Amino acid sequence: MKGDGMEGVEPLKQMIKEGKADEAGDRIRELLDGGASPEALMKEAMIPAMEEVGDFFQQGKYFLPEMLMAARAMQRGMEVLKPALVSSGAAFPGKVVLGTVRGDIHDIGKNLVGMTLEGAGFEVVDLGTDVSPERFVEAVREHSPQVLGISALLTTTMLAMKDTIDILREAGLRDTVKVMVGGAAVRPEFATEIGADFYGPDSTSARDFARDVVTG
Amino acid sequence: MTIERPFKDYYDFEHFRQVLMRETTEGPVPIIELFADPEIMCETAGVEFPAERVMELINLGLEPTMEQLELGVRLMDLSVAFSVAVGYDYAITIPIVPVPRTDYLLRENPRQDGKMRGWQDEHQGLIMNRDDFERFAWPPLETVNIVPVEYTASKLPEGMKVMAFINGIFEELKRLMGIEQMAIKSIEEPELCGDILERLTVLAEEAVDKSAAHPDVVAIFYGEDMGFNTSLMLSPAWMREWVVPRLKRIADACHRHGKPFLLHSCGQIDALMEDLIEVVGIDARHSFQDNIEPVEEVYGKYGDRISILGGLDVDLLARGTQQEVADRTRRILEVCAPGGGFCMGSGNSVTNFVRIENYYAMLDETRKWNEEHS
Repeated sequence: MKGDGMEGVEPLKQMIKEGKADEAGDRIRELLDGGASPEALMKEAMIPAMEEVGDFFQQGKYFLPEMLMAARAMQRGMEVLKPALVSSGAAFPGKVVLGTVRGDIHDIGKNLVGMTLEGAGFEVVDLGTDVSPERFVEAVREHSPQVLGISALLTTTMLAMKDTIDILREAGLRDTVKVMVGGAAVRPEFATEIGADFYGPDSTSARDFARDVVTG
Repeated sequence: MTIERPFKDYYDFEHFRQVLMRETTEGPVPIIELFADPEIMCETAGVEFPAERVMELINLGLEPTMEQLELGVRLMDLSVAFSVAVGYDYAITIPIVPVPRTDYLLRENPRQDGKMRGWQDEHQGLIMNRDDFERFAWPPLETVNIVPVEYTASKLPEGMKVMAFINGIFEELKRLMGIEQMAIKSIEEPELCGDILERLTVLAEEAVDKSAAHPDVVAIFYGEDMGFNTSLMLSPAWMREWVVPRLKRIADACHRHGKPFLLHSCGQIDALMEDLIEVVGIDARHSFQDNIEPVEEVYGKYGDRISILGGLDVDLLARGTQQEVADRTRRILEVCAPGGGFCMGSGNSVTNFVRIENYYAMLDETRKWNEEHS
């Protein structure tokens, strides 16, 4: 696409995939200064790069370090790109609220999901760890996300996922949001048992589910 | 709920060792656990102990108080009392390797009536960069000692031996750096990770060597979580370069005394199993989750080369019924017992959120199996 400022987009994708955070941020700045559209950068660089990173993880080519480095590069890029996206009036495809349940402070997996979703263009509200069911529900009420993602590491802490879904239902909000769950002890049968909509074994499947939700 | 019907009321470390080393297909299937949470041990053995102090005792530095030392002795007594009450052929204890550690982050679990659980900080540790490494107060080699082994050995009934638990070098690397920083540095500065691992290896070799040399130690139980549900945490190539050769040194320190080297590792570690068996020379593997790979399948793959330990999913022990636990125990035994080289137990540990009646159901079904096949 000559003349649209997008000539440097392939090297940008490579920087993200290789986890070169500073270079990615600088390259996005250069491309924006050169006239590239923020939305085009998102669609043609950021999203495809993170798609490939997620695919590499599922294929067993990337592991935790490569995922974290790529996600960090993506985040650095987004720090530069996001203001430009907002100014241009670009819309996010959707919004996801994430958190780790009460009594649990494991968050590496949840953070990877968040970064993967951001890399796919979603707006992510991360509530952090040790989040009570009431706070999850309050966040759904406040942010009106399409998807609520709940993480837990242990059998004992994952039980709080059911509490959250129950309170969502009591608050009349259950039908307003799709709930996805994940974590080391979680499995598909448990997700079904507690009334969640989806169990995600990794960040890529969580991203794919969120995408399916917003595209219907 | 104290245990009314122990698994058995005699102790046979020699048979246990033979099963671990796959030297026999005869005799009863032993039981094994890496750990039981103190609440479980207390209830089973009918002994009181302040469970909330265990995290503190695990993290004792080079200058514990007299009160902490007395509490440590009580914990060792509890471990023995628990093994005696249930009928394990060993009591587990932890040699002292006083590497400074960050405090565990304690959180209440409202689902467990507010019981506290200790969490490792994932984002930072005591060594975040080369400067931290250079300044780190590594303990002198002579501070590595097996006083807990010697004490525990002095308290054992006839036929019971000591199992010495060693926390792994990769595990300690994650603890010292925080898993997130460790992951990033493994790419940006692998030599730093390598230098930390080397320091830890020298200490671990010393602990293993001293422990395995003790006549009352039946085996070394080495803990090294290397995987997530779907894969290794780091690439097989990285693990082969930086970790596997060091694991071999540690296993050699055990094997030179003729003792079994049992590996505990959570997660999907298939990509490294050939290295662990052929290069490191592990004698057994522990820790299985049904949603990663049921223990029967692992036994099918590796049970002709190493012994397979435990495997009853902790989730089932925590949330299932006694009948479900008994049924699952029997199904596991039907696959894993006839060929030998198998010990029954949980898939990880008997945590304080396991229903104790389910734990007893697993023991009881295994006892019944042994009676039926004697």
